[in-house]
Amino acid sequence: MNQLSFLLGMIFILASSSLGEKQVTVDSNLVNKKVERKIDLASQLVQISTSVTVENTGSSAANAYIFGLDPIMESSLAFAGATLAEAEEDESEKMIVEPVKIAGQSGTFYQVKFVTPLKAGSTIDLKLDEVYIKSLRPYPAQITQSEKQLVEFVGSAFIFSPYKTVTQTTTVKLASSVIESHTKVNPVSADEDTITYGPYEDKEPFTQEEAKIHYENNKPFLTVTKMERVIEVSHWGNIAVEETFDVSHTGAQLKGSFSRYDYQRQQDGLSSVKSFTTILPAAAQDVYYRDEIGNISTSNLLEKEDHVELELRPRFPLFGGWKTHYVMGYNLPSYEYLFHSGDSYILKMRFLDHVFDDMVVEDLTVKIILPEGCKDIELQAPYDVRRSPDETHKTYLDISGRIVVIAHKSNLVESHIEDFELHYTFQRVLLLQEPLMVVIAFFVVFLVIIIFVRLDFSITKDAANESRLRLSGKVEDVLSLQSKRQRLYPSYDAAINKFKSSKDSAAFRNTLKGLDAEHRSLTTRMGEIMNSIKAESSEVAEKISEAQKISSAVKDLIQAAITNAEKVVAGKLSKQQYVDYEKTNSARRSENITKIDQIFATL
Amino acid sequence: MKSASVESMMRYVSPVNPAIYPHLTLVLLSIGIFFMAWFLVYEVTGNKYTRDLYKELLVALVASLFMGFGILFLLLWVGIYV
Repeated sequence: MNQLSFLLGMIFILASSSLGEKQVTVDSNLVNKKVERKIDLASQLVQISTSVTVENTGSSAANAYIFGLDPIMESSLAFAGATLAEAEEDESEKMIVEPVKIAGQSGTFYQVKFVTPLKAGSTIDLKLDEVYIKSLRPYPAQITQSEKQLVEFVGSAFIFSPYKTVTQTTTVKLASSVIESHTKVNPVSADEDTITYGPYEDKEPFTQEEAKIHYENNKPFLTVTKMERVIEVSHWGNIAVEETFDVSHTGAQLKGSFSRYDYQRQQDGLSSVKSFTTILPAAAQDVYYRDEIGNISTSNLLEKEDHVELELRPRFPLFGGWKTHYVMGYNLPSYEYLFHSGDSYILKMRFLDHVFDDMVVEDLTVKIILPEGCKDIELQAPYDVRRSPDETHKTYLDISGRIVVIAHKSNLVESHIEDFELHYTFQRVLLLQEPLMVVIAFFVVFLVIIIFVRLDFSITKDAANESRLRLSGKVEDVLSLQSKRQRLYPSYDAAINKFKSSKDSAAFRNTLKGLDAEHRSLTTRMGEIMNSIKAESSEVAEKISEAQKISSAVKDLIQAAITNAEKVVAGKLSKQQYVDYEKTNSARRSENITKIDQIFATL
Repeated sequence: MKSASVESMMRYVSPVNPAIYPHLTLVLLSIGIFFMAWFLVYEVTGNKYTRDLYKELLVALVASLFMGFGILFLLLWVGIYV
């Protein structure tokens, strides 16, 4: 692969986008002073990178350069781009490439706009990149398992240019040194896996000379016939990516039967694909790989420093004409690809990611699922894509469904691995919608329970049972009143102790007043309930009445303790007497309280 | 307005750190289950003369709040990014 080190700018062109091309005239003052073409045939792709030194021999400045595609292969172009060789890295001006027509000349041409017009007499170095797919024809078209794969390339030995070319060479890099035949357009030389055509001098515009090369190429001829890339954004901090593939081997078809025995023992089937490697982003987590019948466990995941390598092994080796279907997915943290400022967000991700080296994707569909409630959606694709109308996707905790942005593109290669930007707005408060839905669901269930337990489905009215239920309700009230009353006793004790140490009788009186009032109200309420209970059960009412009596005895004992405490503070009672008195008092109190507890325990 | 660029924006992080989803799930769900159990026991042990509607509604509200958020973080923990 030609990695473009000095990239000024590039534009991707769909091979079929021939609509609305503008007609241009060729500036005959421009001359290709020196052309060096490198045709890389070492994979299933045809990658042509051309270095051109353009000279302006006219008297006025030139604004644009036109280059043509090889007429033999022009229909299978996947990518065309131009960069300025020797451009400084910090220069950001784009070099615009657009398809054009030349009057009176058939063929596909692209125009490159110079960043600054090319002055008369000066030269400029351009680098043109073209990638063609499906241009290597397996020949023979069918091979047996043990045979090697041979392919035929048909191209031109010369650059197809609307300008005069002074000197040019074409270097063809092959996959192996086994060359069955190659067209001789002298001077030509073959050395190992390289064939060099040229140098040729002074060729007129649009000169062509067919060059056929028949050679051995056992590289994987894998084509992704259909790919769907689903990106699901969650504002809870995750971006889930799931890719569905239909992959087929588009090399020479397998002739005859497949022998697993020979395949394992002799390591033949050179052109078949046993496994391939997919490169995932470094932050990829929870990677999964499965096909129609479930998980495929024969896959390896290697975590490298700046990427994750996923070695995928289909259930069977892929021979010519065979296909497979699989799903691969992973999670990414949102901070890697999602940016925001207030309520506006930008998702910046790759439109297409790496599937395998030298890949060909015939048909790509990208679906971006945004959270519910996203608005003002705007997709900025790195190249021309075809948008489908937005759909909605309904999943967990959705009401109206999530908006799905859909974009399609055909015939992609590695050069199309570029970022898209998706702009949208989202109110953060909407994040609470999901938990609140669950909260409301639970509350509704509880409400239903509350209503249900209040419904009476009995056919007859059971008076005895009713009375029993009413009684138990009242007893419960009595018990809660009693426990409240019980809690007052320690408060009395605390007040007495505080009084004994502080000797502040005014404050003591005040505290007692409050406690007495509370005690009184509790006792009155219990008395009221006791009276209403008489209708249901006189037995229970009697028990409560007994408890009330004992309780009033307790209250008397407390009153006595208060009086004694006041006496001892006033000095009317000796300490020893008080202690003795207090001992019997508290003993009798606890005895009575125990009695009350025993009575209530029988209710 | 549409001219906003990635360079001028901040990276988006979740309002709750995904690392504490398991802990949040366990804490919220245990509190939620406690209140739910209280509510259910209260409903089945009482009868129409003993129940207190305000108490029922209050316990139900607390239980549903904790259960709701607990379930949400459980979903996030297990990988259902809602």
